[in-house]
Amino acid sequence: MEALLAFLGALARASTWRMAGRNALRNPRRTGIVVSAVAVGLGGILVTMAINFGMVFEMVQAAIQTELGDLQVHHKGYDDRPGLEVRIQQSPARAQDWLRGVPGVRAWAPRLRSQGLVFSPRASVGIDLVAVDPSREARVSVLPHSLVEGAWLDGEPRRLVVGERLARRLRVAVGEKVVVSAQDARGEMTGEAFRVVGIFRTSSRELDEGAVFLRMEDGQRLLGVGSSFSELVMVAQPHADLEEIRAALAARLGGDLEVETWKELRPVLVAMIEVFDRMGWIVYVAVFVAMAFGIANVLLMAVYERIREIGILTAIGMPPGRLVASIGVESLCVTMVGVAAGLAIGLGGVWLLRDGIDLSAFGAGLTAYGIPLRIRPVIRASDLWIPLLVSLVTALLASLWPALRAVGIRPAEAFRHG
Amino acid sequence: MAEGTALLEARGLSKVYETRGVRTQALRQLDLRVASGEFTALAGPSGSGKTTLLNLFGGLDLPSQGSVWLEGEELSRLPPSRLARLRLWKLGFIFQAYNLIPVLSARENVEFVMELQGLPAAVRRQRALALLEEVGLAELADKRPPEMSGGQQQRVAVARAIVSNPRVVLADEPTANLDSQTARRLLELMQAMNCEHGVTFLFSTHDSLVMEMARRIVRLRDGQIVADERSSGP
Repeated sequence: MEALLAFLGALARASTWRMAGRNALRNPRRTGIVVSAVAVGLGGILVTMAINFGMVFEMVQAAIQTELGDLQVHHKGYDDRPGLEVRIQQSPARAQDWLRGVPGVRAWAPRLRSQGLVFSPRASVGIDLVAVDPSREARVSVLPHSLVEGAWLDGEPRRLVVGERLARRLRVAVGEKVVVSAQDARGEMTGEAFRVVGIFRTSSRELDEGAVFLRMEDGQRLLGVGSSFSELVMVAQPHADLEEIRAALAARLGGDLEVETWKELRPVLVAMIEVFDRMGWIVYVAVFVAMAFGIANVLLMAVYERIREIGILTAIGMPPGRLVASIGVESLCVTMVGVAAGLAIGLGGVWLLRDGIDLSAFGAGLTAYGIPLRIRPVIRASDLWIPLLVSLVTALLASLWPALRAVGIRPAEAFRHG
Repeated sequence: MAEGTALLEARGLSKVYETRGVRTQALRQLDLRVASGEFTALAGPSGSGKTTLLNLFGGLDLPSQGSVWLEGEELSRLPPSRLARLRLWKLGFIFQAYNLIPVLSARENVEFVMELQGLPAAVRRQRALALLEEVGLAELADKRPPEMSGGQQQRVAVARAIVSNPRVVLADEPTANLDSQTARRLLELMQAMNCEHGVTFLFSTHDSLVMEMARRIVRLRDGQIVADERSSGP
């Protein structure tokens, strides 16, 4: 306890830091090597984590911005049996009432979803049929803004928009007609001809290859569902608390409807973030363990070089706790300079890559997994403070071995050594 | 000055060094009492055990046998933190090789002991400068040891040893590397500390000047006391 108090007291003294700093500068080359090792290690981690998270972030954002939104309302049971049988048996206009007084919702749009087939004169493909309110959809999804040909849906009936891959498979172009066939709400086969008015391209292969978008009214008519629909998609204000929105909205909905956030709608995305975070920790541990050995080795050398001085300090009455602190602080001084340099390297690297890394050379393979073709590194606050904290803890732990070795030296033994 | 009370005491003290299987007996069953206020020299040829005895009296080493007592406390039984506190408050050390902290200036070296004692910065600074003035080094207060001569470093070491008002100063060959004039000035300074403040001094020395000024000379040979001479002193 006494040693711990001496240790903490020493950490608070300016003289401990001054002396540690001067000691660190006694061998500039050796200190420089440790600082460089810490800086390169930390800088590398920051850039790696930023790229990794950038990729995950883009994937999540792509999913949110094209399909999921931040929250969705469904009829209970829809997650287990997605299809026409489980629908919201109310008009999409009812959403106005539900959302009145619910804070944090920036935009909303209704969707009607089903499966079907699309036929061109040359091919037929199984598809997800998504009927939308064109103007509202443009506020919750980037898809209407991702057209590579033609235009987004407007007020005109019997028009649809397809993904680039699907258009290629159907061998259709903008302006050509296709037939959409599906099972309606009564279980009867139904079909109508639509004109392709737009072709979109996203980072989601699934979407590009297997979805067609048409007007809500066309979908409701084709599928014979009246004014009902499948889901209400909502986009929240930046930094809004999704749980708060969910709670407020749930209180306004009837008992047969449920609200889910994107995390519940697509748990695989959450799992992916967790996997990347855990991989990050593995990288941290590997780098910091190597760093710890490096620091400990250098400090041990310093302790052996200054064994006589340590003997003097002990002889004049320096308590063991303070001796441990003085070596720990020396380790901290060196590491903190390395950490500062590492942060500069990491942030500098992220800044240099701010326009993103172009992965289009691997395009086909990556989009199959929803990985965007351009990854922009993203630094989270935790990517800064976690390595910072771990560096400092590593520095202190690495100093323990040399420090305890120093405490164990009897002054007379130290004098004989010198 | 009362010289009856035992401040330091060695009882049946032995010390054996073992280096690569070679045993060297530095002290053999030695008994010695040093009273408060003494100005005592341990004399003897090299290898007679003077430095070993000082180290054991200062708690800087552990005896192989026997015990060392400082004001009734047996040093080898004390835990490291208690021993450190005892050295900080009751003991001052002067070494033959000066042993200053090279990264600290003369003033900071002297202040460091007071800082360990927890004295406020202003008091430390004032007292350190006053002592450096007393040892004639006021103008070198901001110089670091490598920038000073041996004599200057030893004067800083003396200032460091006495700045904490210790009960006893253990000085290992303090004049060995000094010219006679510097040595005399230092010894006079220590004598003044002894007479005016009652600080006990225990020297190990070959120097006739030290023995001339000491009021008690304990002569050692082969780790044993062969003579214990007292004089009325200056």
